[in-house]
Amino acid sequence: MKKYLAIFLVLTMFVALLPTAAFADGIRLFNGKIEIAEPLEHAAKVYEEATGKHVEVESLGGGVDLQATLKQYYQAGNMPEIFVGEGKTDFDNWTGMMVDMTDWEWAKDTEAGFVDETGALIGFPYTTEAIGLAYNKSILDKAGVDPASITGPESMKAAFEKIDAMKDELGITAVIGYCANATELYWSTAQHLFGNYLDAGLDRDDTTYFDLLMDGGKLDTERFTHFAEMVALFNQYSDPALLVSGNYDMQVSGFAAGKYAFVTQGSWIGSSLTNQYKDLYAAAGNFECGYVPYCFEEGIDTILTNSPSWWAVYKDGNVEEAEAFLNWLATNDGQKIMVEEAGCVSPYKSCTAIANDPFAPAISAYTAAGKTSAWHWLNQPGNLAQDYTGIIFQDFAMGILTVDDFVADMADTIPQCIK
Amino acid sequence: MTEATSGKKSLSMTLLALGTALLLVSLYCDFTKTYSGIGAMRGAFLVIGALLILAGIYYIPTVLHHRAIINCIFLFPLLFTFAVTVIIPMFVGFFYSFTDWNGVTFTRMVGFENYAAMFKEPAFIWSLLLTVLFVLVNMILVNLVAFLLALLCTTKLKGVGFFRAAYFLPNLIGGIVLGYIWQFIFSNVLTKILSSPYSALAKTNTAFIAIIVVYVWQYAGYIMLIYINGLATVPKDVLEAAQIDGASDIMTLFKIKIPMIAATFTICTFLTLTSAFKQFDVNLALTNGVGTVRGFMGARLSNGTQMIALNIYNTAFARDQYGYAQAKAILFFIILACVSLLQVRISNKREVEM
Repeated sequence: MKKYLAIFLVLTMFVALLPTAAFADGIRLFNGKIEIAEPLEHAAKVYEEATGKHVEVESLGGGVDLQATLKQYYQAGNMPEIFVGEGKTDFDNWTGMMVDMTDWEWAKDTEAGFVDETGALIGFPYTTEAIGLAYNKSILDKAGVDPASITGPESMKAAFEKIDAMKDELGITAVIGYCANATELYWSTAQHLFGNYLDAGLDRDDTTYFDLLMDGGKLDTERFTHFAEMVALFNQYSDPALLVSGNYDMQVSGFAAGKYAFVTQGSWIGSSLTNQYKDLYAAAGNFECGYVPYCFEEGIDTILTNSPSWWAVYKDGNVEEAEAFLNWLATNDGQKIMVEEAGCVSPYKSCTAIANDPFAPAISAYTAAGKTSAWHWLNQPGNLAQDYTGIIFQDFAMGILTVDDFVADMADTIPQCIK
Repeated sequence: MTEATSGKKSLSMTLLALGTALLLVSLYCDFTKTYSGIGAMRGAFLVIGALLILAGIYYIPTVLHHRAIINCIFLFPLLFTFAVTVIIPMFVGFFYSFTDWNGVTFTRMVGFENYAAMFKEPAFIWSLLLTVLFVLVNMILVNLVAFLLALLCTTKLKGVGFFRAAYFLPNLIGGIVLGYIWQFIFSNVLTKILSSPYSALAKTNTAFIAIIVVYVWQYAGYIMLIYINGLATVPKDVLEAAQIDGASDIMTLFKIKIPMIAATFTICTFLTLTSAFKQFDVNLALTNGVGTVRGFMGARLSNGTQMIALNIYNTAFARDQYGYAQAKAILFFIILACVSLLQVRISNKREVEM
């Protein structure tokens, strides 16, 4: 009896020792963009071959609540060295637990890092995304509409009317693929599109309308009414089957198949065109893409570009190895994989790789011309769109609300969230 | 005899002392975050220490309490698991409901602020009332549909086994998947059939009906099985006697079958009641709680179809107000506990009567 007990005890000891040995080596990266999981793992492998240091890439996404998962990790004492955050709301959870990376090598090569209120550089940028009114160049050419001529609400309306009149001739379903489904696409309407009210046409550091929003949820009625009129135009000229009851896949595949001249999605659909929908895209002639600014007021000539999320480094983890890996990833070796395989637009000045993405030339052109604005919507409360304003875009699309009702409902509802 | 006892005593004491020492060392390492050197062994120390203590308790030289000790040792794994997964989290949760916890840290104790705040939040009151309405409607509808299906499936139809399985099948699909399937039906299929541009999910009132439809579809099959079971227990001789006396089918149903399975009704009513209260996954997948409500407590609400469980979830995970969500969860717990207690009381009473 005692002998068995002794054997049992010894065995338990080994079992208990196993996990501590397994986790002792390498660092973990908690990636929130599941689309780039494979390229990232490839990058980690190349890095391991070069340096012998292991990086474990853990990719989550597609509706998983990243911050909630991270909190569980934190409670379990299982925090990854590097983790993702989508701006102020997310990073506020981790105040005082992130490393200030100001002096790290990569920081000298970019200005796209996330800086918190105290001036500490806490977010590593890994891609740039753009929000603009995407168009299908071959349809516009056929319709005889010059995208450069769309510079304000009147010219936008004229272009929409012209294309709408030629719908059958062009073989398209609708002028624009705009979807306001509040359950599935609240982020597209109430974050990305709404972000244009906050930033379009402004300098990158201009926070006039964002500050107003954060001051008890106030809106600039004149600017917002102009914005609402543009949304009304989208409501009018969108595909009715897509407008309220559609979803993201319908919207993007429809654009890839050349059913819409415009689509209200940003640069991330580029990789869907060339991968997921490459057959549809090829059948539609692999058309060129570009951006028109959301010019709801005359003179708005910028698209919105930003890092959509950043990677922070956990203070109590293996900071040195995290630093080495991030520095490596920001060099040309790392960026080559990120750009060519993951389809990222590099935020690093020294990067020479060019992405094989239909939207990359347009983003580069706007960036080179200095015609970009920032994404301040990233810093609005995380649930504003999902729980409060997304449904108002949907009501507007259904025709329940007029432009004035829409403005009034937004002005009435946002203060419930931003007190 | 005395030698053996004293030997046992010293063995027991040594094991207890060694076990406690190992436990303390491992806990010390963990609290001071000493993870290297001896700290790397803290997991092993903890397990071995706990086992040594158990062995020490087992060898305590007593005849009188030996049986009790063995019982306790055998019960220990279960009680320990129960404590770790249920009892301790409940008390910790109760504690957090008095703080401004955000899921990571809390900065201050807020007393009853969280509890006061939820009764001033129109969106939460709406969710609460909506849930009550949902429960009432479903309690009636699910039971009605399930009972009718059960009657159908206990007749001598051909292929009754197939129908039973078919009605039960929706219950085997997880709520989230089911929600997405029905979302597709409402958005892509029904809109084409009814040639309406918008799905039923786009408007608050129709979306609420949609959730009820999906819920009944999912749950009625399960309740039907319980009713079938109940109907099978009605004695054949009573039914035959009724038939000989010339009772019609309707009369047999109302005067014999239903009174005979009254206990089944109680069970099913409370099953639907508690499960409808906890409705979450279908709600999340189908509408995610959105919907416009005008003029409720003087406010315009955006969470028209949000049940209380989803409201709590969103408060915690979308708004990062874990403490506040915890307070709501405590209220939810109290409501559910009251319902369950009521259930136990009523079923007991009925059993005594029978």
